[in-house]
Amino acid sequence: MNPGPEPVLELRLVSKRFGATQALADVELILYRSEVHALVGENGAGKSTLIKIATGIYEPDTGTMELGGHVFDPGDPASAQRQGVAAIYQEPSIFPDLSVAENIFIGHQDRGLLVDRKRMEQDAAEVLQRLDIDLDPSQPAGALTVAGQQAVEIAKAISLDVKVLIMDEPTAALSAHEVDRLFRQVRRLKQLGVAVLFISHRLDEVFEIADRVSVFRDGRHISSRPITDVTEELMVREMVGRDPSEFFIRTPQEPGQVVLSVEDLARHGVFRDVSFDVRAGEVLGFAGLVGAGRTDVALALFGVAPADGGTITIDGQPVTIGSPTDALNHGIAYLSEDRRKLGLSMTQSVTTNITLATLDRYTLSFGLIDHEAENRDAAGLRDRLGIRTASLDTPVDNLSGGNQQKAMLAKWLNAEPRVLILDEPTRGIDVGAKAEVHRFIDELARSGMAIIMISSDLPEVLAMSDRIAIMREGSLQGIRTRDDADQESVMAMAVGVA
Amino acid sequence: MSSIPALSALRRLRPDRLKELSLVALIALAVIIFGLVVDGYYSGRFFNRVTTSAVIVVILAAAQALVVISRNVDLSVGSTVGVAAYLTADFLQNNSGAHPLIAVLIAVAVGAALGSINGLLVAYGGVPAIIVTLGTLALFRTLVSLYSDGANVTADSLPDWVIELNGSTIVSAGGFDLRTTFAVAIVVILGLQWLLARMRWGRRLYAIGSNPDAAAQAGIPARRLTMWSFVGSGALAGLAGFMFMVRVGTVSATAGSGLELQSVAAAVVGGVSILGGTGTVLGAFLGAILIDTLRLSLVRVPQVSEFWRDAVLGVLVLISVITDSVLTRRLSRRAGSAGVGNRMEASTQAVEPTASTAPSPITTPVGLATREESIDV
Repeated sequence: MNPGPEPVLELRLVSKRFGATQALADVELILYRSEVHALVGENGAGKSTLIKIATGIYEPDTGTMELGGHVFDPGDPASAQRQGVAAIYQEPSIFPDLSVAENIFIGHQDRGLLVDRKRMEQDAAEVLQRLDIDLDPSQPAGALTVAGQQAVEIAKAISLDVKVLIMDEPTAALSAHEVDRLFRQVRRLKQLGVAVLFISHRLDEVFEIADRVSVFRDGRHISSRPITDVTEELMVREMVGRDPSEFFIRTPQEPGQVVLSVEDLARHGVFRDVSFDVRAGEVLGFAGLVGAGRTDVALALFGVAPADGGTITIDGQPVTIGSPTDALNHGIAYLSEDRRKLGLSMTQSVTTNITLATLDRYTLSFGLIDHEAENRDAAGLRDRLGIRTASLDTPVDNLSGGNQQKAMLAKWLNAEPRVLILDEPTRGIDVGAKAEVHRFIDELARSGMAIIMISSDLPEVLAMSDRIAIMREGSLQGIRTRDDADQESVMAMAVGVA
Repeated sequence: MSSIPALSALRRLRPDRLKELSLVALIALAVIIFGLVVDGYYSGRFFNRVTTSAVIVVILAAAQALVVISRNVDLSVGSTVGVAAYLTADFLQNNSGAHPLIAVLIAVAVGAALGSINGLLVAYGGVPAIIVTLGTLALFRTLVSLYSDGANVTADSLPDWVIELNGSTIVSAGGFDLRTTFAVAIVVILGLQWLLARMRWGRRLYAIGSNPDAAAQAGIPARRLTMWSFVGSGALAGLAGFMFMVRVGTVSATAGSGLELQSVAAAVVGGVSILGGTGTVLGAFLGAILIDTLRLSLVRVPQVSEFWRDAVLGVLVLISVITDSVLTRRLSRRAGSAGVGNRMEASTQAVEPTASTAPSPITTPVGLATREESIDV
């Protein structure tokens, strides 16, 4: 092992806080010249925040950063790049209408007033050759595959002479063959002296490419070791292990009849062979890493992106769900993970949002809305869920995150569903609101609702679910009862170690 | 929290109401200021001039509001006015005995038919409204040019009631007239305001404009509603075409050109967000009145030369929009936390970057989330 003794990027005691949540707490990370350093951790371990701090998107609250022995204050991504730190992401950020060469040199300020296309393409060809990338510099970048676009971004970083290249889940959208090619480029970068920070959920890849590996958990730095000193089991153990005591204890009860049953559900290229059933009064948790296909299954059940294979059965009757209206008619409601984009009409009032999906119920003859009835129901749900708002006429945009989440929940509860799908129901809300949502989920289950809860928060899934379905890369790995599931075994299935 | 009761009452108002009130205040302010500068400004004659001149834009602002609320735009309203005015005038010069209501119906039907073309292309063709209506803006205008063959319908070939209707007054007090055309416009505005607030389709139009994805998840038939909003805007433009004929008398092939931008300006000044989902027809009406008041008042200020008038008008409109948005924002921002009695709520709202902009320990990192979120819905 020779990672080279020369540290390039040093982050010490870096902390960052968002509202009530400590995203990073006194984190340390040191990258050396010519090494590939893997960073692993559960969803929300603080990896993304760290990347954003290193590339100048966020400013750390406390802590020091040094690049090549000098104080490093990136300021913004462009300046971070100039100073030698660049990042590429799972979804490349290229300009699709510009050529490969133009994309590579887009950030360079020193190319004069007029563009010498020929020279630029020659320079681009040279950079691409150094990296063993076989691309035509004059072709439009939009026509390339994701892998090709990533290669363009790597070439761009090299042309900028970066010392540190951060790769955030670069393999998530690649085929096995493309991963091999990417790894060849990564090794090439190493030879050129670049320090690569490699972030991946796929532990086998980490073992293949990394020289050293750091584990983060809950915004804390847990360990940094040479890859030869770690095993998969050790890594998984370090990734999990959050304290579950902060979570709600479910009220024990016997689940009732099977309400929803799903067999071999599939959507081409997204997920496949998903089979499970949910009983009345039961909470079925869905665990897995981001991108495992859990949300896609939910969107299929709710008819937003219908499945193209398999069967859905409700109360023993096979049903077809082609649109959200179908799903609602069959008693399925879906609480979106993204309340701003998909969940709420931000400019509309609390009442309007709560009755949006059930407006027919408040419609008198001639399409007139019964304001009194809808305000009465909205007020009932506001009290039941404890939505804190100045008035029911207040636009939901003015509510806090937790109260927006409750307003969205109220909208779907008002539809009186038999199956309620909750997608990351406590994401981005504070501890108090989180506890209220948990208490409420328990209450709904007790009332006989069948609940599917998708959550990337492992202790939450374990505490709230009767059974846990674990997904990985579009397929269901297995279903465990709460009693024979723990953080380690679930995480191991989610990352594919088990 | 304010100790002034009036202020805290204001803050409890819905943003739309607040907007309407602040527009009324701005109009009042403009009238007071011009009254100080211009001699004999407070006269029935000036009131009558504003109300008659505003009628067409007022109706078009309502038409525009109908589509803008659902996150679309209708740039063809000016041409629709032209087609409706010309066809109606042409009909009247050949059938001078026809009942006035028939003429109104023809104008409205022509407008609705043209609007349905826009609606079909936007809702079912999936073409952005701005492109579709830019196209039909030119298309409708060309149709009327071809049909008219360059000939105008002149006032003297129209039945007498057309000219009489322009000056006809419902009530008059001290030189202040309530003209019939303006009264009709008011009825249209109030009716539409009421419908949008009280009817299910009105609520759904707002929902589509506010968040199309959430609307789709709530099972709202967006296409059908979009289609009908364009039919409605076309019908109103047709009515405006009738008003145009009444007011101008002589109808040429260029009748109504340029009105599309005036209607958009009135609606936007009136608080109808071009991003959809907010604003009211009443606001659009007040926006139209504000602009027209400023425009006609400037004519009375001799210090402003004709050459500069448009520029000054532009500046005044900008000033009032800025004043208005600053005012509305300051009041409504507090409205969110007023009465909650929980300062923590307000501060978490301010600091928490929300799931879509920043991660927290229980949040999925943004960059990693793309695959699950980029499902084609």
